Amino acid sequence: MNIYLRELKSHRKSLIIWCIGVFLMVVSGMQKFAGLSSSGQSLNDLFQDMPKSLQVVMGVGALDMDKVSGYYGMLFIYLLLMATIHAAMLGATIIAKEERDKTSEFLFVKPVSRAKIITAKLLAAFTNIFIFTLVTWGSSIVIVGKYADGESVNGDIAITMMGMFILQLLFMAIGSSISALKRKPKKAASLASGILLLTFVLSVVIDLNGSIEFLKFVTPFKYFEAKNIMYGGGLDTVYVLISAVLFITLLTVTLIYYKKKDLNI
Amino acid sequence: MNVIEIKNLTKTYGKARGITDINFNVEEGEIFGFIGPNGAGKSTTIRTLLSLIYPTSGSATIFGKDCIKFAPEIKKEIGYLPSEVFYYDNMKVKDLLKYSASFYKKDCSKRIKELADIMDLDLNKKIDDLSLGNKKKVGIVQGLLHEPKLIILDEPTSGLDPLMQQKFFELLEEENKKGATILFSSHILSEVQRLCNRVAIIKEGKIVTVEKISTLKENNYKKFKVETKVPLDQNYFQIDGVSNLTGKGNVTSFLFRGDINAVLRKVAEIEITNLWIEEPDLEEIFLHYYEKEAK
Repeated sequence: MNIYLRELKSHRKSLIIWCIGVFLMVVSGMQKFAGLSSSGQSLNDLFQDMPKSLQVVMGVGALDMDKVSGYYGMLFIYLLLMATIHAAMLGATIIAKEERDKTSEFLFVKPVSRAKIITAKLLAAFTNIFIFTLVTWGSSIVIVGKYADGESVNGDIAITMMGMFILQLLFMAIGSSISALKRKPKKAASLASGILLLTFVLSVVIDLNGSIEFLKFVTPFKYFEAKNIMYGGGLDTVYVLISAVLFITLLTVTLIYYKKKDLNI
Repeated sequence: MNVIEIKNLTKTYGKARGITDINFNVEEGEIFGFIGPNGAGKSTTIRTLLSLIYPTSGSATIFGKDCIKFAPEIKKEIGYLPSEVFYYDNMKVKDLLKYSASFYKKDCSKRIKELADIMDLDLNKKIDDLSLGNKKKVGIVQGLLHEPKLIILDEPTSGLDPLMQQKFFELLEEENKKGATILFSSHILSEVQRLCNRVAIIKEGKIVTVEKISTLKENNYKKFKVETKVPLDQNYFQIDGVSNLTGKGNVTSFLFRGDINAVLRKVAEIEITNLWIEEPDLEEIFLHYYEKEAK
């Protein structure tokens, strides 16, 4: 319990900054929508005129950009990127920082097993991520609601946030397992964000090039895309299961490897 | 009873560093010195005992229990001071010590105050703002606040001024009187000589010898210094039992172990202006061990 509370405290500041960041992202994103839609021109037409690849990169896809929900679906990709970067870096640093800051000779000579230390840390990371999701969710409902103009958006926001939460957990586990596997964990956070960007780019490439469609299982960014899960689509059970299996496997890897590891002092 | 028993402990990192086949025991209630030059494997041995790293082969027990299997249990009664102290920067000293104490199921607040008073440590400062020596003091308080039965110190005096060192040694002696066993690693021989009952000498990852400090000193070594009118032939005293032979101008000095008459006869044959025969200090014996090994 003491480790958990200590970790919450030490990550409090960064969590607050991230939360403010995501709030501003929603606000500024939706302000663009207000600006664009009030110009009288149809956003759909505007995006249709763009090259296909640009549309894909911006995440427009099949979304109806004239509706606030469609626009939110596009904005969601950026929220998702932010949330997963936060999660991956948090998962990596919360484990790796003891070795990075050379505090392992303090913590790991205390009468607690490594498994307990790691569990407490992962729980603290989980709590941070959950708060981040709630803040994103709350800001989305309030801000998007302002522009909804009668359209009901809360259900769509809820489903995207659930998808986002699953991916956050997944990337947290990727980050933590890298920390546990790497002998010199200083670079764990950058490696985790590297993997994240790589899978994100892959998801865009898949959209651009239909022939590598089969790779969609490799990149988590294809699991819960706004265009598929909104408008009643819901979370695909297959992807939820894949995520669950990956999550549990990665956590197990983290625990097992961290227990066996020679700490880098 | 042995508090620490180390059996054939080996740890290899790739090729370079590590320890090979370490064996020694630390008995209950003693202050055990662990000396060797930098990089000899002192810290590696200690970190293996604390299961911060795991041995390649061999094993060690602390309080009769395997140091890896029962690590969390054993560590309740261990206080550890690492050679370099690093703490969570944005904490106050007080908060760090409280955090440290929260791992032990007893109230340590009184002891923290006592120790801070002895070591003259300001509890309300931030750890970032502390000098190296003051950080070391935090480490000392942190290692002793739960009144451990086994205290492991890895080069504890670096960064402490002589006055603080003195206080710290007194503190250790007091803890020892109360029943604590102490493993004291150092490369500074005088402090080991002052404090310890027995000592293990480690070199290049291997234990060279485990001896009582008194035996080491009594080992019949004598330190000779001979001053002559004219510089001596370098090899004049090169007889059995002589080591560390050095000549500087008219002064020749060496360590000798064996029949003292042999040396005195050699001395009698030459014209000397002065002669000193002394007990060597540990440092010289220690160097002697090393040179012997190197040959």
